[in-house]
Amino acid sequence: MEPSAASPVPAIAVQGLTKLFREKRAVDDITFSVARGRFFGFLGPNGAGKSTTIKMLTGLLRPTAGEVRIEGRDLRRELLEVKRLIGVLPEELPLYERLSGEEYLHFAARMYGLGREEARRRTDELLDFLSLAEDRGTLVLDYSQGMKKKLALAAALIHSPRVLFLDEPLNGIDPVSGRVVTDLLRRLAAKGVTLFFTTHVLDVVERLCDEVAVIDRGRIVAQGTLDEIRAQRAVGHDASLEDVFLKLVQADVVRRDLAWLG
Amino acid sequence: MARLIALVLLRWKMDLRALGAARERGLGLLIALPGLLAFSLVGSFFALVGVRGLRGADEAAVLPLLSLLATGVGVTWCLSPLLTGFALSETHDPSRLMHFPVPPGTLVASSLLANLAQPFVLAELPILAALSLALADRLVFVPLCALGALLAFFTILAAAQAVGLLLHGLSRNRRWQDVGLFVGLGIGFVLSLLPLLLLSGAGGPVRAFLRVLLRSELLALSPFAWGVRAAVAGGRGELAPFALAATAAAIAIAAFLGASALVLQRVYRGEVDLGPARGRSAGAARMLFASALGAVLEKDVRAAWRDPALKASLFMGLLGPLIFLYLLSRGSLGRSGGILALAVFVGAAAFGSNAFGLERRGVGLLFSFPVPRWQVLAGKNAAAVVLRLPVLLVLFTASLFLAPLSQLPAAVVVGLVTLLVALGADNFVSILFPVAAPAPGQPASAGMGGRRGLGAVAFTAALLGGALALAAPFVFLAWLPLLLGRPGLWWATLPLALAGALATYAMLVAAAARLLERREPVLLERILEEA
Repeated sequence: MEPSAASPVPAIAVQGLTKLFREKRAVDDITFSVARGRFFGFLGPNGAGKSTTIKMLTGLLRPTAGEVRIEGRDLRRELLEVKRLIGVLPEELPLYERLSGEEYLHFAARMYGLGREEARRRTDELLDFLSLAEDRGTLVLDYSQGMKKKLALAAALIHSPRVLFLDEPLNGIDPVSGRVVTDLLRRLAAKGVTLFFTTHVLDVVERLCDEVAVIDRGRIVAQGTLDEIRAQRAVGHDASLEDVFLKLVQADVVRRDLAWLG
Repeated sequence: MARLIALVLLRWKMDLRALGAARERGLGLLIALPGLLAFSLVGSFFALVGVRGLRGADEAAVLPLLSLLATGVGVTWCLSPLLTGFALSETHDPSRLMHFPVPPGTLVASSLLANLAQPFVLAELPILAALSLALADRLVFVPLCALGALLAFFTILAAAQAVGLLLHGLSRNRRWQDVGLFVGLGIGFVLSLLPLLLLSGAGGPVRAFLRVLLRSELLALSPFAWGVRAAVAGGRGELAPFALAATAAAIAIAAFLGASALVLQRVYRGEVDLGPARGRSAGAARMLFASALGAVLEKDVRAAWRDPALKASLFMGLLGPLIFLYLLSRGSLGRSGGILALAVFVGAAAFGSNAFGLERRGVGLLFSFPVPRWQVLAGKNAAAVVLRLPVLLVLFTASLFLAPLSQLPAAVVVGLVTLLVALGADNFVSILFPVAAPAPGQPASAGMGGRRGLGAVAFTAALLGGALALAAPFVFLAWLPLLLGRPGLWWATLPLALAGALATYAMLVAAAARLLERREPVLLERILEEA
């Protein structure tokens, strides 16, 4: 039976997730859960383990230890069923470059089992919505980075996923398209779609996310709503997320002046 | 004129400075110098002795042969950017000077004159001098011969510059560059087949064609030959024909320079946009097949056909069967046995095709789709069959010409059953010994091949042996009527052989899919080199 929006079953449940690359602990025993319909921000400095976590949550990387459940389904045992429920926008964009944008979306639709007419309708609407309609016949190879990002997002959405994993979705997208994308994501969240979102743009996280988790050196150092995290870290309510983030990851910001400059 | 001289001197100065500044360029020149000297000396010797000898043996053959040679050299120089993947077109790139208020004609003329100081061009000058000496009846006619020879050489340089600029312009459009790359690879393929063609007796028609060409007046129409014509006439002291041919050559050079200037202006000043290649209709963009299996097949075929290197490799795959056919035609194998061996060879060659090879880093994307894994494997295998159609066509044609017509169905079925079993078995190699995909930003060829290790080689060899053993009963079944001398039995044995091979293939794919489901994350880690 499908869990309802009010179901206590979390959209994402992670228990003791660990990934070792030889001796290095890229992700170290992390545990968290995301309720259905939440806009969840997953933050951390470069190399903290964000992309590795997303790859493990989407079945693209084998965890060394731990358990992942998506919409109540065990990722390891029901991999294909989980893949039907999720949409993924990876950081690296391994798109099929010798297909046109339109062909690419048709291909994705077919792979998700959509019928021909439905695939055509959704492709047309997504291309139009993301301002790619004019370049529908252009090969992906000739797309700019921003266009590729939008196309990958369209492919992640075409089957109407219940949980959406987005790794740096706003990188390389112009401000106008960025607004279109963030508005779309907000509407998806309002409709009950769960969004798992990584970004370096803390301002976006502050505006969009209901809840965040901060990962540093493979371990989760804080989790909760922004207010909860501010309270945990004993910073004022007016402290920006950037201040909280820097404090959490103990960033060593160099403040010395370079006298020879200028 | 002052600007022209200044530009030529500037280019020479820059070339010299570049040589002095970059140690590796100087070293490269030092290494190349003995070779160039040897080329120059040997070329001069052959030009002098060869042309003198030819004049002694058959004076009338000198002009057509030299015209043919000049045309051949001219066409090769013009095509050289294609053969080297457009790289040479950069040598004709005067874009750095376009922002100066200099007419494009002056720029291309200066580029042409400056190119004369290139080592490879300088190495040709002694050959031209030797040719002039060989062509002149008397010493006083040597300057006329030299002028004619220089005009021929300039025509070649000017034509190569015009074509190089045009290709450079076209290479700015990615689709045209793809076409150029494919054509270049195609020319390379044909050139690599030339020795085979000449050995197999096809050299006879080529020689006959050349003889007809030499006897006809067609070569008189080649601009590359006009300078040669002037040199030959000058050597005989025939002033009127010399003047006529020399004027024609000069006009050809001017025309090529004009074309270069026009192309330069169009390409760099953006006065005329070369525009994208012919677009496709939106209707053609739909995926035609309904299932995921069909989508994988269609995606692979479309992507391979649009990738010039992959498309070219489809035709390069013909080389093996063609060599096999050559051996067959020489009678090294019995005709029937040969066709059987060729059919097995064509089918078994699919082993090692690597189901995930075409995906490169897209394999992560492919496995993100909720598609039963047997469909992914079957789609990949179906694409491999479609991409092998040119080779199957060679087999079909060979059967038509080299064996009795009645053997044709059996040969095709043998090819198909071996292909099916080979592809089914190769899936295990693809899953157990994946090849790492090149990292993002790396060329497609980087990091490919040679990384499976000795254990993988041994396992692959054993698996190939196993696949051939699995296919053997079906091959035997298809060929049995021929052994019994009763071709009428084929109506029963061929469908049985095909059905048996299909059933075996289905079992192999089902087993491989189960293995893939278990090893999928490991496979992804290995291909994407996550660890």
